[in-house]
Amino acid sequence: MRAILRKDLLLLRRSPLLLGLLLAYPLLVALLISVVVGYANTKPRVALVDRDGLPATVELAGEKFDVRELIERVSSEVDLVEMAPDEAERQLETGRVVAAVVVPRGFVSDLRASRSPELVLERGTGGLTPIVTREMEALVFNLNRELQDAIVATNLGYVEPLRERLDRTSELLGELPAGPGVEEIRGFVTVAGLALAQTETALRATASPIRLRLAPERGRTWALSAQVQAYGLALAITFLGLVLAAGALAAERDENVIGRLARGLVTLGRLVWAKAALAAVVALALGLALAVVFGVAVEVGDVAGGEPWARLPLLAAGLALAGGSVGALGALVGALAREGRTASLVAVLVVLPILLVGLVPPEVSPAAGYVSDAFPFAHAVDFFLASLYETEPWRHVAEQAAWLAALGLAYGGAARVAARRLLA
Amino acid sequence: MTLVRAEGVAKRFGRRTALAPLDFELAAGETVALVGPNGAGKSTLISLLARATRPSAGRVEWAEGIRVGWAPQRAAQYARLTARENLELFARLEQVPAAAAEALLERFELPSDRLSGELSVGNQQRLNIAIALLGRPDVLLLDEPTASLDPEQRRRLWETVGDTAVLFATQRLDEAERRADRVIALRDGEVVAA
Repeated sequence: MRAILRKDLLLLRRSPLLLGLLLAYPLLVALLISVVVGYANTKPRVALVDRDGLPATVELAGEKFDVRELIERVSSEVDLVEMAPDEAERQLETGRVVAAVVVPRGFVSDLRASRSPELVLERGTGGLTPIVTREMEALVFNLNRELQDAIVATNLGYVEPLRERLDRTSELLGELPAGPGVEEIRGFVTVAGLALAQTETALRATASPIRLRLAPERGRTWALSAQVQAYGLALAITFLGLVLAAGALAAERDENVIGRLARGLVTLGRLVWAKAALAAVVALALGLALAVVFGVAVEVGDVAGGEPWARLPLLAAGLALAGGSVGALGALVGALAREGRTASLVAVLVVLPILLVGLVPPEVSPAAGYVSDAFPFAHAVDFFLASLYETEPWRHVAEQAAWLAALGLAYGGAARVAARRLLA
Repeated sequence: MTLVRAEGVAKRFGRRTALAPLDFELAAGETVALVGPNGAGKSTLISLLARATRPSAGRVEWAEGIRVGWAPQRAAQYARLTARENLELFARLEQVPAAAAEALLERFELPSDRLSGELSVGNQQRLNIAIALLGRPDVLLLDEPTASLDPEQRRRLWETVGDTAVLFATQRLDEAERRADRVIALRDGEVVAA
């Protein structure tokens, strides 16, 4: 088996273009998927339909509000686009907007009359609907808070003259001759002054019993995040290992050598494991190179968190195990395809859905989680995340290692059976 | 002493019968020629006896402990390895010393450091046969071994083979008559003369 592995590595070294493509292509795919995932965080497009004809300003409790400007300011997490009702309806039906916020007729008059006007949220049925609903609830909350702050400020404006009058009354009482009546009035003025002094705090607390204070942003940037590193590593070795092992096994038949080997020189089982070992070795080399580059970037960027260096040996074990597991799957593809070019094409066709389904969080789609469990990619991601970032990674790492080993054995066994086709 | 025995061995590819059931034996020191047109079943029988192909029916038995060398019609070697690297790789797999590879390289006068895929057809065929000889086989199964060789190379091949038991396929009747102790004629997967 070692002789076949050495031969395969020598052949790989002799094909610099192929080697370069095999290394660069998964990195390119990882980069593109990262960009797409990044775009997934862009703001959803929401229609704003003004059926009430919002005026430039609305005066509430003596304060002037630009309601349209206020809505746009507090809806920073969505892309709010004003449009006519029929246009909004059409775009909602076609999915061009994920929701429409409708300002109904009578909104401003209800607001002026303190009758709690309603904003109506019309929603589509897409996957972003729950997110948009939460964003719109946040929008209404923020609107209420802005209005409450303004109303509280206006109300406090009414209290301030009273406090000034009480202070003046207190001064005047000091100039009067003492007596029971004056003392009683002084007592009233003191209590009233204390009560009014508490009014501002009480009013603001009533408006916002709990406030959220935003601490300064810290931690890793998105590009240096744990998820990006773990997904990048797993994606690169999955692509590389699967295509490489599939092509390498089918190539034994293309070269007409399979019969010569299987005659007793190398059993089909050992041949399959040699291809899995090839994938493991290349995955280890590529994965460690990527991990080192990432670790250097983290050091240069002076980013805190994670264990870029201390956990490299554990990561190396995961890379080899994941590479071998993926390689066994690749060998199965190669044995079924039988012919080198077909095997490479099938491997590419197989690997993309495996990667994409592995990117879907199981919380979003349990079915995607079950499917991912049957392939090494998702387990490799979990292994790398645990080994690089968890304080106590051992239980998690052991679980994922068991998954990777079991999948590798299962795919390797299936590849051994399928490899008989190569001798047909 | 019988070195290789086939009983009722047959091969089908889908509905097509490549080789109808046949019995065959090869004794020590014997040379047997398989003749017949293209598609007669010569290569199929040889690869079945070499255990490089699984039979659809019947069985192939080798005498215990014998070593079988096989040179298929289409060269079975790695195109992106040199002749030396191919021989050294198969020497490791055959568990014979690397010196055996060097000796065959010299005996067959092969360009040692050129990729085998870049060799002439004749040199590729010589390398193919050299690999078959690596394990010092008791039996040689050669599929049209001389098709791409010039007369001098053919002569040297048969000298190298010596008194090893040989089953070879050929379309050259003169070679079959001159080299073989027995001749088996095949057509459409069936023995027509033996």
